[in-house]
Amino acid sequence: MAITVLPPAPAAPPPNPKPYHDDADSSPSDDEMDIDSLPTTKSRTNTTIITPGQTVTDDPQWMRGHGTTAAPDSSTIRSTLAGTLQKTNKLLSVVPLRARYTPEIGDLVIGRIVEVQARRWKVDVAAPLLANLLLSSINLPGGILRRRTSVDELNIRSFFGEGELLVAEVQGLFQDGSASLHTRSLKYGKLRNGQFMAVAGVGGGAGVVRARRQIFTLQARGGEVDVILGVNGYVWIEKKAEEAAKEKEEVGINRLEQSTSEAVYSSQNDEISEATRRDIARVAGVVRVLVEGSVKVDEENVRRGYEAGLELDEEEGVVDFLNGERGARICEMVLSGA
Amino acid sequence: MPLDTSTYILAHLRLDGRRWNELRRLQAQMSTQAAADGSSYFEMGNTKIICTVAGPQEQKSGGGGRSQQDKAKIEVEVNFAGFSGMDRKKRARSDKRTSEMQHTIASAFESTLLTHLFPHSTITLNLHILSQDGSLLAACLNAATLALVDAGIPMTDYISATTVATTASYADKEEEADPLLDLNGLEEQELPFLTIASSGGEDRVCSLVLETKVHMARLEPMISVGLDGCSQIRGILDGVIRAHGRKVLEGKVG
Amino acid sequence: MPREAEPSNNAKAFLLQALRENVRLDGRAFDEFRQIDLSFGDEYGVATARLGKTKVMVRVSSEVVKASADRKFDGVFTISTELSPIASPAFEVGRQDQAEVLLSRILEKTIRRSGALDTESLCIIAGQKCFHVRADVHVLDHDGSLVDASCLALVAALMHYRRPDFEVRGEEVQIFDPREREPIKLSMQHQPFCVTFGYYEDGSVMLLDSTLLEEQCREGEVMISMNRFGEICQIAKYSGEPVDAMSVLNCMNVALEKVKVFDKLVKAKLEEDEKRRDVGGLMAELSAENAR
Repeated sequence: MAITVLPPAPAAPPPNPKPYHDDADSSPSDDEMDIDSLPTTKSRTNTTIITPGQTVTDDPQWMRGHGTTAAPDSSTIRSTLAGTLQKTNKLLSVVPLRARYTPEIGDLVIGRIVEVQARRWKVDVAAPLLANLLLSSINLPGGILRRRTSVDELNIRSFFGEGELLVAEVQGLFQDGSASLHTRSLKYGKLRNGQFMAVAGVGGGAGVVRARRQIFTLQARGGEVDVILGVNGYVWIEKKAEEAAKEKEEVGINRLEQSTSEAVYSSQNDEISEATRRDIARVAGVVRVLVEGSVKVDEENVRRGYEAGLELDEEEGVVDFLNGERGARICEMVLSGA
Repeated sequence: MPLDTSTYILAHLRLDGRRWNELRRLQAQMSTQAAADGSSYFEMGNTKIICTVAGPQEQKSGGGGRSQQDKAKIEVEVNFAGFSGMDRKKRARSDKRTSEMQHTIASAFESTLLTHLFPHSTITLNLHILSQDGSLLAACLNAATLALVDAGIPMTDYISATTVATTASYADKEEEADPLLDLNGLEEQELPFLTIASSGGEDRVCSLVLETKVHMARLEPMISVGLDGCSQIRGILDGVIRAHGRKVLEGKVG
Repeated sequence: MPREAEPSNNAKAFLLQALRENVRLDGRAFDEFRQIDLSFGDEYGVATARLGKTKVMVRVSSEVVKASADRKFDGVFTISTELSPIASPAFEVGRQDQAEVLLSRILEKTIRRSGALDTESLCIIAGQKCFHVRADVHVLDHDGSLVDASCLALVAALMHYRRPDFEVRGEEVQIFDPREREPIKLSMQHQPFCVTFGYYEDGSVMLLDSTLLEEQCREGEVMISMNRFGEICQIAKYSGEPVDAMSVLNCMNVALEKVKVFDKLVKAKLEEDEKRRDVGGLMAELSAENAR
């Protein structure tokens, strides 16, 4: 430029200097970071924040992964997201602070039927695109080996209708990144007898994370409660399905075929005792509090949060809604137990 | 309406006491709206904006098989709150000025967001203008950048935007012409100005909108001061995002 | 909803490869306009501009209306644009297309906001009566550079138009029929023209007067309106890849050259048209301006 821009006069201080000052000493000013010192682990102990457009490295030895970009003719890797750097061998990727859920094969998700089509359902799983559940990837009543007939196609709504909830696994991904689901296991299928919750998706350390066990049974005061934590941030808390368990014992070898009975696709709730209802509500409250307090929602934390909630009630002698002050205390108790 | 701009020549101080290359007070927050995929609150002096991002999500069907796109579509909606301006007036939904603004914002982000990662989907930006005091388009672009970063949508770089005016619009008053950075509402009515948005490093102009008559000789200093302002704003946005990120990371357990 | 057919990948690749080798598909230089053709209708205020296959007709008309309360000393000037299916199957009647909004905004900024037409001269009695000048822009054929062509046609039509003469006697206003008194030219303060640059290859290739195909393949565009004195009325760079500030500034100089060419062309065409009308050399005598 022909005109030179004078440096700002001293009378022009940064409007709100405080937040940015501590920024200067925590992140290296030269826009580069020491990648080699990063641990090659999945644990997110690395707290250096990378922002869009920032150069991650210009060393050609690294490969670029998700959340990064490189100009076609240079080895400079730049970030496209705000988040933390993750190193997997020679692959560098940026994990966003927060983002929509992106399906991966094997994820356990909870979804909601949005649309019924000729041979498939469209399922909302909080991903950028609706997931597909093919008629051929569900267990039909009357046995796993049964042929899919045109009658099944006509009765497609008798299995899942619009607005119904289900738990499923991501079986595969299409070219455009949308997921294909399946419910071919006794663990999966239609949801009833419980409460649905949507919490924040992946990222930021809060919300539901991929863990060893996504479905677990909580030994609550008023009976057993099943908690299903969908990786996509949808949570389902239900009364433990007892009948299915009983049936299993009875029928032996043929149980798979037998238990895939009409009841699986029933939308009718069973009788739920008041104690169980209270337990379900308490677990839901705990999950909500954990999300508000940016605490990871996993089996351990939910269990601990549930116990903490009971303790708190006993201490104060009241049964009350979990929020605000009480919520913060529960988070504290959960974290201190960790 | 005409206001006395002659005082500027005397003291080289503007109506609100700033010098020519000073920005107004900038303040921003991220993740203000829990329900949205991404959100931000942005203040540039008295111009205040809330931005929310929804998506990327599946395109609404019913548009007639036009979902054959290989990249995400960006939709922008700008809402003026009734109390945002000096006089309370209702803006028609089909107001051409608003729809031009929407188009500018949408197409500016089309070039920086990596939309090809989300085929068949839509990213919806909602901008709610709570208070207007100049540099509206620039503030909208900045607010949208923050909200999109919050939503975790990949982009090649931030878009940072500002406005620049010049104190003399004619070629002959060379010595009187000073470019002024980041205008407030009064200055915007009085002086010829342009909105400039930059992205992807120094000297890269992402959008440029000028609506008032000005001589071409004035343009070069205006653009160069504008780009300088953009990089200042970029620094501030970066600070906001880092501060927000640190807060998020502190709250989590490893 | 009909949409503009996307050019095929082959066509795109061919065009871009050609540009890399400094060739445009129609053999023009990068900064060369297509054949510009400007013609006027039999009536005053009708102008048709052609840029290659792009064809835009503008008709200017006026009527006497009540002056608006908040602008007592000004007449009214409106520009309305219409993109009808005549121009391209992609345009629909009645539906406000993005392209239409942008076209009308650019024309509005170029001509109305820059004060090209002196609206004060349209006032008859302050606060009561004034002329409402209306310009209807009809796009008849769309092959790129719509804005440039529309702007050219609009300015030409405004310069060509003559409004009826009037006389004020106390509170009474008499508007004269063109047969009674020779109508009067509108008073224009300057003549702005719009020049659109399409850029490719990261801003290193700047094309003027893009055809439709070139428009569909470009990385971005810069629309600049200015008059022959170098006063910029409007710049709009909405979309596209970021581009160097220097190349934007270079555009200004190119635009100025082109605007001067436009200016000359419009003036020459107007003169030609005037001569055609002034068969017997009676015009000078008939002019009402002469009488005063």
